[in-house]
Amino acid sequence: MFKFTILIIEDEKNIQTFIEKILKKQNYKVLFASTGEEGLNLIRSQCPDVILLDLGLPDMSGNKIINEVRTWTSTPIIVISARTSEREKVRALDQGADDYITKPFGTGELLARIRTSIRHSNKLTTLDSLYIRPYHFAGLHIDFDKREVLLNDKVIHLTPIEYKIVSYLAKNSGKVMTYSSVISNVWGPYADDDNKILRVNMANIRRKIEINPAQPKYIFTEVGVGYRMQDDSMDCENGIG
Amino acid sequence: MKKKVIFKNLIFTTLTFIIATIFALIDYILGDKHSANITLIYILALIVIVHNTSGYLYGILAALYFVIVINYCFTYPYFEFNFTMVGYPLTFFIMLLITLFISTMVMTLKKHQILNAQQAHQLEEREKEQIHANLLRAVSHDLRTPLTSIIGSSSTYLEDYSNMCEEDRLEIISSINEDAQWLLNMVENLLTVSKIRKDSQEVTKTLEVVEEVVSESIIRIQKRLPDIKIHVSMPDNFLMVPMDFTLIEQVLINLLENAYVHSSSSNPIHLTITETTDFVMFSVRDYGIGISSEKLEHIFDGDSKFEASNTHKGIGIGLSICRTIIYAHKGNLNAKNHADGAEFYFSLPKEKESFDYV
Repeated sequence: MFKFTILIIEDEKNIQTFIEKILKKQNYKVLFASTGEEGLNLIRSQCPDVILLDLGLPDMSGNKIINEVRTWTSTPIIVISARTSEREKVRALDQGADDYITKPFGTGELLARIRTSIRHSNKLTTLDSLYIRPYHFAGLHIDFDKREVLLNDKVIHLTPIEYKIVSYLAKNSGKVMTYSSVISNVWGPYADDDNKILRVNMANIRRKIEINPAQPKYIFTEVGVGYRMQDDSMDCENGIG
Repeated sequence: MKKKVIFKNLIFTTLTFIIATIFALIDYILGDKHSANITLIYILALIVIVHNTSGYLYGILAALYFVIVINYCFTYPYFEFNFTMVGYPLTFFIMLLITLFISTMVMTLKKHQILNAQQAHQLEEREKEQIHANLLRAVSHDLRTPLTSIIGSSSTYLEDYSNMCEEDRLEIISSINEDAQWLLNMVENLLTVSKIRKDSQEVTKTLEVVEEVVSESIIRIQKRLPDIKIHVSMPDNFLMVPMDFTLIEQVLINLLENAYVHSSSSNPIHLTITETTDFVMFSVRDYGIGISSEKLEHIFDGDSKFEASNTHKGIGIGLSICRTIIYAHKGNLNAKNHADGAEFYFSLPKEKESFDYV
């Protein structure tokens, strides 16, 4: 069976070991780098499928690595960062990181992020962009061809803006989308950077698709960063690849 | 810097002087040849100058100007100097006396103000230090307990794991896990404290959606306490409140956790959000044993002696941090018993101007 290769760039030995144990059990091939330099070399020589990158490395900043890698490959990068540093996360995402995971994280969370990244990078290369499969999770069904949103088989009426937001998040389900990326995708690249309008729209969307907006099932807020839509359930069932 | 102040004072003095002269001229042109009103105008100008500049110099300077101008313009012979007029030295002398008198008064007043501000500042500093000292003391006490348990359990496991049955191993590992989770929560509380300290009791607030902070807190606490049952009710309209998201999230988590751990009841906790014209109120209600009255009195003091003795999960620090956070938001946090348990409730002020989005 074909194994995905995952590179972990992290200087903390204990965390390396723990991630390695989890990933090996899931049949991934695991590579390590304790410094940024080592990491860049491994990326060039081994071409990993996913890169897990700790932002606080001893020899160079994680942002520098992201910039460097993004000059020649779109290999998914998942950033590992501390919870309180929203600005750092947003910067990493703006620079081209695909997602982030917050320390301390659980096994399930880490594996889900890796699966999502692999899936999205596959979509880029293999799936015909004209054909996009409907999104489906629990009672929520989004048909991108018909531009239709169904909740428990009932049609939900969204405004055009609301639909744009939901479909953008659904097409990137499982991944965090920053406020600025949602705004430029919905209102265009010259839209105001103020995210208040987006948040008001989100509140309205939640009132339409969530049973209890304070305990959402489909769209989650990532504090200070953006939104993450619940991963498509069909992909979860199919597993990786 | 000093030159700038002198320049500013001079400009102010000159401007006030010109304005006073304009008023005096208007009064004069309107036909009032009695110098009483004009003198009053100048005395008023004098007071204004002395009040708004520092030192005696400007007041004396202004007084000199005024006496000369009054002499030149507004006393007979008009628009001519006449220093030989009877009583003129007296006018000048009185003007000077008034100036010195007001200057002294204003300066003492200013000195007192500065002193008062300093004292208030010192008091605040001392209070802050006290809070932080208390917190640190409580924290180091509270950190040691789970650490002892983690170190003890893990070394037992390392030394003895071959003799243990599967069940024992599981138990020991899950207790390590539980203690580590608790430590994590404590560290997050500490981060919170450092955040407040940095901005000297003030927090950086941004407009946040109330339901987002509520959902985020619930998701995070459910990760740690999967059995917790929370029932949320909130107004239907869209609420945004200026706050520091992570801090308020931390408060909600602390309150919900307390309700879960200390109520000795598995009934769902009610989290209710209501809205008044100026505030958004959050209330966390549990349906358990309530809080004893002597504990209720000191529950926000951050003192560990009122903690339940059967568990290391102290509530003291958590709650005093919560109160500090809410105070820093200019809100209020309180606790009381209701018929079937305990209730913690806090308020957050809404933003002054109203927003019309959508």
